[in-house]
Amino acid sequence: MHLRYVFSETRTGLRRNVSMSIALIVTIFVSLTLVGMGLLLNSQADKAERFWGDKLQITVFMCNANSQVDTCEGEVTAAQKATIESTIAASPEVDSFYFQGKERAFETWKEVYLSQDSEQQEIYSTVTADDMQESYWIKLKDPEQFQGIKAALGEEQGVAAVRDLREVLKPIYFWMTAMKWGAIAVAGFLLIAAIMQVGNTIRMAAYARRKEIGIMRLVGASRLYISLPFLIETLVAATIGVALAAAAMLTFMYVVIYGMLRPTSTIVEWVDWQDSFLAIGGVAALGLALTLLPTLLMTRKYLKV
Amino acid sequence: MIRFESVTAIYPGHTARALDDVDVLVDEGEFVFLVGESGSGKSTFLRLVLREMKAARGKVYVAGKDVGRLRWGVPKHRRRVGTVFQDFRLLPTKTVAQNVAFALQVIGKPRAQIQQLVPETLELVGLSGMGQRLPDELSGGEQQRVAIARAFVNRPQILIADEPTGNLDPHTSDEIMGLLDRINRTGTTVLMATHDVGVVDQMRKRVVELDGGRVVRDQLRGVYGHSY
Repeated sequence: MHLRYVFSETRTGLRRNVSMSIALIVTIFVSLTLVGMGLLLNSQADKAERFWGDKLQITVFMCNANSQVDTCEGEVTAAQKATIESTIAASPEVDSFYFQGKERAFETWKEVYLSQDSEQQEIYSTVTADDMQESYWIKLKDPEQFQGIKAALGEEQGVAAVRDLREVLKPIYFWMTAMKWGAIAVAGFLLIAAIMQVGNTIRMAAYARRKEIGIMRLVGASRLYISLPFLIETLVAATIGVALAAAAMLTFMYVVIYGMLRPTSTIVEWVDWQDSFLAIGGVAALGLALTLLPTLLMTRKYLKV
Repeated sequence: MIRFESVTAIYPGHTARALDDVDVLVDEGEFVFLVGESGSGKSTFLRLVLREMKAARGKVYVAGKDVGRLRWGVPKHRRRVGTVFQDFRLLPTKTVAQNVAFALQVIGKPRAQIQQLVPETLELVGLSGMGQRLPDELSGGEQQRVAIARAFVNRPQILIADEPTGNLDPHTSDEIMGLLDRINRTGTTVLMATHDVGVVDQMRKRVVELDGGRVVRDQLRGVYGHSY
């Protein structure tokens, strides 16, 4: 096959309408970047779910000397703890639980606060293990079924607070889901635009080359040979679009995730390079499919053999 | 070489039959004129041979193949059939040699073969030395020679010509007919649709006349009009 002809045709095709090619590339680029962001948000949500899901879902904090709640009268007593523990053990909603003493709580506290903010270590140095609260960490059989145990424990003497991680995380989950679907919806519209632009580009190219195409069909050029310049033309546009989207996503990963979020915020496990490579892979596959499929359909329509 | 068996052809969206129960047999090496008024079905006949359209009923055989059943084999089928049109259909930005070579390039012929076949064919059609000219610089007759060269360069078994002299003066038409006759003598079957009375009467070849999609006359060594 004379690939020289195919490539020269592709070049003229891309040059024939530079603005159209650029518009196509930009549309592919922006829509794919949004899809990629949606994919990243999706893996972020999965990661967060797993991260927090691994943690225990309900934490029951015992009273300490500083607790200012009705159910607290100074430090929790051994008898109160025994009652609380039997309440937890008796609850059908509880899968498993463990007790965390003051020392362990202090370790975690230091890990979270002191490691992040070395300048303020002095202020924190006045805090001691005794300022910490003892706690029960409960894992539920079904994370959604927590009302019963929460209500029961809330009334126990010696319980300072019952914290349900779900409630804390609800708005975060909500916004993550909203952003994910928002990105996917906008990307969806842009992808429709991209498909139509692929169609338009091919229609125009087929029109500009109708004489050549007519002769090629007449002398028996194969369908593949006739449509190859079109395929390559859109493939080049798709490749550039995918490359730009990948670059944008990697920049985002480098600047935002690794540059800003990962070092400062350890309350959740952030997406990593591997996630971004997976998202880029998905975007690349989508980009190729979304340009190749309409190209094949359009060449079938406009270049009927 | 070409066999139509009770062929009926209808264009999509039409009810009238462009061809109506046509039976024609063209042997290998024959030269056949297809005559008739506009709309009589001549072009439809040629389109069926080229497999540009499919018969609604009946069968079209070309070179032993039922072309109605071809799918992926259509391009290969067309390589066995050369085609020439009234309006030449040359690519204006390519030279004469490039126009002829194009037909070979796009079917993947090796370069060495192209370099041999193109000058050979240009010489056959009487255009040696004009390979570097652009189509604009040629007369109508010369342009039609280029078109014939392009149709013949791959040595097809069949040459189809749709009104090849329609845009040419009588003298140039005679030259083109001489060329088609020469190609026919190489063993190529020639099927030519035409209105050109002078050309048909002069050549004294087989004439198939169509009227309203039906074959109304099939005559060896015929003339254009009804002068049996």
